[in-house]
Amino acid sequence: MKKIVIAFFSIITGLSLVSCGGAVGEDPGRAYMPDMYYARAYEAYGYNMVEGEYDSLRQRGIQYNGLLVPGSVARGDMLPYHLTGDTTGLKAADGLINPLDTLSQDSKIVKEGERLYLVNCGICHGTALDGNGPLWKGGEGPYPAKPQVLNDAQAKGWTDGHYYHVITFGKGAMGSYASQLRPEQRWVVIQYIRSKQGGAIQDSTGGGAPTVLNQTNTADGDTTKKK
Amino acid sequence: MNFLPPIVKKGALAGFVFLLSYISVIAQDGKAIFQSQCQSCHALDKTVTGPALRGVEERGPWTDRKNLVKWVHNPGGFIPTTPYTQQLAAQFGGQVMPSFPQLSEAEINSIFDYIKTAPAAGTGGSGPTQPIGAGAGQESGNGELVFGIISIVLAVIALILMQVNSSLKKLSDDKERILRPEAVPFYRNKVYIALFALVFFVVGGFYVAKSAIGLGRQQGYQPTQPIYFSHKVHAGLNQINCLYCHGSAWESKHAGIPTLNICMNCHKSINTYEKGPQLHDEDGKEINGTAEINKLYQYAGFTPGPGAVWDPLKAKSPEWVKIHNLPDHVYFNHAQHTKVGGVACQSCHGNIQEMDKVYQASSLSMGWCINCHRESKVNFNYNDSSGNKFYSIYEKFHNDIRTGKMDSITVKDIGGLECQKCHY
Repeated sequence: MKKIVIAFFSIITGLSLVSCGGAVGEDPGRAYMPDMYYARAYEAYGYNMVEGEYDSLRQRGIQYNGLLVPGSVARGDMLPYHLTGDTTGLKAADGLINPLDTLSQDSKIVKEGERLYLVNCGICHGTALDGNGPLWKGGEGPYPAKPQVLNDAQAKGWTDGHYYHVITFGKGAMGSYASQLRPEQRWVVIQYIRSKQGGAIQDSTGGGAPTVLNQTNTADGDTTKKK
Repeated sequence: MNFLPPIVKKGALAGFVFLLSYISVIAQDGKAIFQSQCQSCHALDKTVTGPALRGVEERGPWTDRKNLVKWVHNPGGFIPTTPYTQQLAAQFGGQVMPSFPQLSEAEINSIFDYIKTAPAAGTGGSGPTQPIGAGAGQESGNGELVFGIISIVLAVIALILMQVNSSLKKLSDDKERILRPEAVPFYRNKVYIALFALVFFVVGGFYVAKSAIGLGRQQGYQPTQPIYFSHKVHAGLNQINCLYCHGSAWESKHAGIPTLNICMNCHKSINTYEKGPQLHDEDGKEINGTAEINKLYQYAGFTPGPGAVWDPLKAKSPEWVKIHNLPDHVYFNHAQHTKVGGVACQSCHGNIQEMDKVYQASSLSMGWCINCHRESKVNFNYNDSSGNKFYSIYEKFHNDIRTGKMDSITVKDIGGLECQKCHY
């Protein structure tokens, strides 16, 4: 009798241990010490779990979007931007001066600019600045609006300030990138766009360019002819 | 025609050719001009920044081409002249189309000729792709069940045959009057008991140890998220960089959940899912991508429509379920690994660009961390820009590499196994 009881309990213990742990699908599995595993302290992006204060930040009108609180300046950051996001602001932005050294193409800045451009801009405006990124793909992609070509005559004519304003507030279908790119990063991206506009344009209009790009260029050629 | 001097003939021919080519250029260019000048704000079948343009010549004042030309040359001046355009301006929140004085009348005509003749969307597009994963998954599940049933049936048959064998033997023994000792039943047979105990100990021990190790590890955890966000569609199909949404992985401890303004940067315009393959959840049930985008709009407090403006203050964050979790006593920093170490996202998170529904691909156990720290090589080339200049302080290692004593430096060598690096 005693033996049977011992055998029974050992089987139960084994089974209960086997059933522990092992995350599958919706089940996160078990932990040795859940208090340590699932933090009691506030975690990043966590909600305030205090009763009645669950969504208190939003109720006070604070919508976290990676931007600074209005009126504050981050340490080491540039001074805040005072122009408004409408057409008057866009016109006024032409007067902005790129705080970076625009004459010497610092390879470090251009490299960082390339990284930021490929992460944030390339999916629409294309890695070759041809306005044909994976989201557009000559009309095959999911994006319904054609992204701006960044290496045609029009884009080259825009001032650095114009670019800065468009990155900050967006334009047309493009949204604001103020939360993704800090002010000095925006200037770095502009520096990279400028470096690409200066050099590689002739190459990209030549052989092997996507059809959309070619059509764009013929259209541009025609408009200049008729002017 | 022989009486004409050859120069005139050549001239007339050249002129004719020029005229022909000019006409064909104009006809072709309708599409090209539309693509280069209009498509940033207008689509044929969808209201983007400006209204959809298919059938524009049947609406309002646009039945007259002259009005269209006037409009394109100066929209701001045209708006007050007709009630239709006034209403249009109000509908789009006062956002006025920029003027295009550089387009000639012929070019504008060619644009609208193109719009009139442009083929309807969906013709010649790729058809819906067949679901592949669903059927295969079910089959393999069935296979396991069939094998299980077959082995149970075989085991029962073996048992019956053994019983039959022993009974027959007993019968034949009785007939031949051979006296044998009473057979010991199998549950009292010491050999059987020992064998069973051994098998139970080994198999049970294996599972107990395995599940005890698995405590607190979430490998394979695949929770349902508030929105069926497919990383396969975003990061795989549309090649969006991981850092586009999880930008803080590059410069902070946390990889970060993108805030809704980042979703809305694209989804202000992309409000249907139609061009990608049909989505399926893990049970093979179809997922309606457009409905999932509408869920996003509910969280964002956004109503798509002409001239719709999104107010971020109306947004409510979706409560995403955290998958990758480390206990409080472990410190992990994303920037340290992505930016400094140059580790790709996929080496810890698995092939995230192929996951519709994300699961935890790695165990995130300490042994797993340590293993990688033992094997990962550090880029010690601080002289060129690829390496980290910080490593110049490891003078001994540089000397050892120079003399050939060491051929590479791993994370272990620069303190990657010290307890306090991660536990403090």
